[in-house]
Amino acid sequence: CRSNVYEQTRKQVALLNATAQDLFSLYLKCQGEPFSSETDKLCSPNGFFFPDFHENRTSEKEVMVAMYKLFAFLNASLGNITRDQEELNPTAKELLDRLHNTTKTTQGLISNLTCLLCKNYNIFQVDVRYGPNSKGKRAFKKKQQGCQVLRKYVQVISHAARIL
Amino acid sequence: MWKNSSLRCVLALAILCLTSLICSQEIGSPGEPQNLKCIMHNLHKMICTWDVSSKGRYGQTDFCYATSDLLPPVCIKTREKRVEIPVSESSFTVIITTNSIYGAAFATKKFVIHKKDISFIPLAPHILSLTPDFSTSTLNLKWSDNGSVFPYGLDAFWQIEILRKETMEKVTQVIYHSKLTHENIILSWNWTSDMPLECTSHYAKIRSYINITDFVGHKDWSDWSPVEKVPGKDTEPNGSGVFPQDTVVAVGSDVTICCIHEEGQQIQQMTYGSEIYPLIHLSSRSSAIRVVNASASDASGTNVVCTLSQDWMDGTVLFVGYAPDTPQNLSCETSNFLIIKCTWKPGKPSGLYGKRRTKYSLLERISGKNISCEVNEMSRERVCGFPVLADQKTYSFTLGVSNPVGQAESSLLVDLTQRVHPKTPEKLIASGNSSTDVHLHWYINGSFTEIWLLCQIEISSGHSEQKLQNVSMAGGKFSTYTAQLNSLHPYTKYQFKVRCSAAEHFWRWSDWSRAEEYTTLEAQPARGPDVWRERSPSGRSLKIFWKPLSLSEANGKIVSHEVSCYLLDTPLEYKEVTEPSHSTEIKLGKNDCVISVVAKNHAGSSPPTKIMSVELPSDDVRTEHAVALGNGIYISWTSYPNVTCGYIVKWCHSSGAEHCSVDWEKFLSNTTDAVIKSVLFRPGVRYNFSLYGCKSSGYQLLKNITGYMKELPPKRAPNFTVEETSSDSILVKWEDIPIEDCQGFLEGYRLSFAKGEKDALKSRLSESGNPELKVKNITDLTKKSLRILDLQGKTSYQLDLQAYTAGGMSPANSLYVVTKEDCKLDIPIY
Repeated sequence: CRSNVYEQTRKQVALLNATAQDLFSLYLKCQGEPFSSETDKLCSPNGFFFPDFHENRTSEKEVMVAMYKLFAFLNASLGNITRDQEELNPTAKELLDRLHNTTKTTQGLISNLTCLLCKNYNIFQVDVRYGPNSKGKRAFKKKQQGCQVLRKYVQVISHAARIL
Repeated sequence: MWKNSSLRCVLALAILCLTSLICSQEIGSPGEPQNLKCIMHNLHKMICTWDVSSKGRYGQTDFCYATSDLLPPVCIKTREKRVEIPVSESSFTVIITTNSIYGAAFATKKFVIHKKDISFIPLAPHILSLTPDFSTSTLNLKWSDNGSVFPYGLDAFWQIEILRKETMEKVTQVIYHSKLTHENIILSWNWTSDMPLECTSHYAKIRSYINITDFVGHKDWSDWSPVEKVPGKDTEPNGSGVFPQDTVVAVGSDVTICCIHEEGQQIQQMTYGSEIYPLIHLSSRSSAIRVVNASASDASGTNVVCTLSQDWMDGTVLFVGYAPDTPQNLSCETSNFLIIKCTWKPGKPSGLYGKRRTKYSLLERISGKNISCEVNEMSRERVCGFPVLADQKTYSFTLGVSNPVGQAESSLLVDLTQRVHPKTPEKLIASGNSSTDVHLHWYINGSFTEIWLLCQIEISSGHSEQKLQNVSMAGGKFSTYTAQLNSLHPYTKYQFKVRCSAAEHFWRWSDWSRAEEYTTLEAQPARGPDVWRERSPSGRSLKIFWKPLSLSEANGKIVSHEVSCYLLDTPLEYKEVTEPSHSTEIKLGKNDCVISVVAKNHAGSSPPTKIMSVELPSDDVRTEHAVALGNGIYISWTSYPNVTCGYIVKWCHSSGAEHCSVDWEKFLSNTTDAVIKSVLFRPGVRYNFSLYGCKSSGYQLLKNITGYMKELPPKRAPNFTVEETSSDSILVKWEDIPIEDCQGFLEGYRLSFAKGEKDALKSRLSESGNPELKVKNITDLTKKSLRILDLQGKTSYQLDLQAYTAGGMSPANSLYVVTKEDCKLDIPIY
């Protein structure tokens, strides 16, 4: 690992936290009404899986493992969302750029966390649970699933930033 | 006769029967057959039915029919009141006898059935299939026309009804026409619903009417077929959802969208975009909204959301867009005879993207080849590549564009040899071993063996205009092409660019190639330098000056000049002067000589420039003034005799004799004036020109001319003093202004005077507006003093003195003088 990997990880999480709300707001706008006006109802997390990230974890190891699971999940979900939006909103350049940038930062985080887990805790494998693949789903469900992921992401990333 | 009892019995019986017959026709005696009806379902058999006048227990019935008096009747025994008999070509008689249960004839009736009494009613058709296509909301109905039982060519009419909802409301009724072909044909009919088929159950039924043209009896519609059903999702246990899913419609369409939920749930609202729409009840589990004249949606479609109680939401997305515009400006060309590139302008955006985007295909009709085009929707121009086909010169293209809402096409006929747009020439290389020629080579990617190419070479250099040279050549296959350029300038940096097109049928130039730089080799200088010489005052040495050759004359880098002094053909002196020196001095011995100056570069030497050293004596050399023109100095002279080889005007670029930068200009013998221009001329600076005449035996100074490019006012005022003062006069005296301060030829002095006290704040007299101001203008430059007369005694006067040139007035010097009282001499007060 590079010598500043922990600091870099902290900055990456801070960056994601700083950009999460704007990404979510832009996403809602690009899906059309009533996604912006009925966000809470349409995008509620009921029956929807998102990795937990509790702030009361005791050890740094637990925090790292939880973060790895979170960002691995997020990376896969962003892949779904990006693919869906490239088809549904190909002219929404700013949204697609933000999704790509968030994905890149997430992938960088996964790389750093992989290194930290391996080096500091000898953890070489983490079981990750992923969300449902949106491929083949109808357009409304794709929009809704992306909304659910990003809404939860905004909440969870702020927890992660606070802990780091 | 009446004695025979048997006879009487039979007669009685006959009368009884006859009476019974008569009575049955009029009233209907018990068991008597009545209401005989015969119906045809086809043209072969009839079904005759009847009933009896009163109920009771009867035995079999005898049904006897006779189509002709000549033929015996055909009898059928039946327990039913229905028989099937062949169709009769004419009227026929029917006698129906109802028998008792013991088998004895009970009641008999005779009927005469005419052709007009027979009805024709086809059998009810049977629906073979009712198939839904949910993606297009279309029902397909199939049935058999049973045409085999009918003659060929009869018109058949099929009345079809579509019903909807559990209440089986009639949605539409249509009549479908077909021709019977004496064969059993499966007929098919499609109906598109204005509501998704999932929303509620749909039903179909059908009946028929056959128009038998020469049938005189009554014709009627058949019975309805059994109803076929396509159940809606509102009847399925897990059928909930919003329908249709991800549908694409054209802008302006009317669309129905429904929400299906579970039993017991209630819809709070349904929205289309941000608008709430009124609900249309379909069933206990299904409601719909109707959007009229739908407007274009955003790229991601318009959301339709169904909100149930407990805030449960589901939805669908409706994509509303435009059919593709007819492609505009379809144009096809080839850059390499491998691929034909077709471009077009797409027109108005459809507003549909992703899977719903416009798809393109290019059909070439002559070969029948059809390809799909991958097109970048984000770019303004659309491009599609089609492979060049062997042995095909002409192409008939049809570009088809389609999206889920519509389609369009555009066509173009192309002769490929007239649509050549070559690729940009590459690998341009210039080479050569000459000072005036160069070989150019370049490569063009493509196979042009079918045509000749016209290539254009752009030739640029720093000191001449751009030129274009055209070269035609046979096209090659992925070849390098060559051209030779001649008549270039030696030692010149050139830039070459190449572009090509088809020679015979010009279509478009390729892009210009990247520029290739090339410097031609040196050649010997084109001409000898411009030379002048100055003899020293003692006459013992001669300073030789020469001007550097221009780039176009030097033909290379001048490295030195050879200066020789020849007496006849014998060199008396030789010097090689290296750059950057442009002068030298040679000692003249007792004899004058001819100076030869040659410029040298690495390629060789210029022709010599020769100049005589002889300075012919001058007589009466005058000095004249030149005329300042502002951008040059005009000098003129009269034509001098024996000046056979021209005039030379020579001058220095400094007024001092030392460090003088000599310059000169030569003129032909018939010249008598010139405007001398130099970038080194400055306004207000006096230049001294010497005019020499070139005679066969040497050079002679003819005259001197001084002049300015532009005269300016003198830099400063002349110094002046008051020499004497009396009671009525003042004598003033002034000094010359140095020439370098004159900035022009002095034309005179201006002395202004008026009464006035000494006051530092006072402006110049000339600007003071003093009404007593007097001015004396002195134009005789030899005069250096002036006595001012008619003054008042014991009075203070201000005196201002200025000098002036054609360029204007110098500043003024001022003096204050008080005249004396009476005749006393006094010291002037300054």
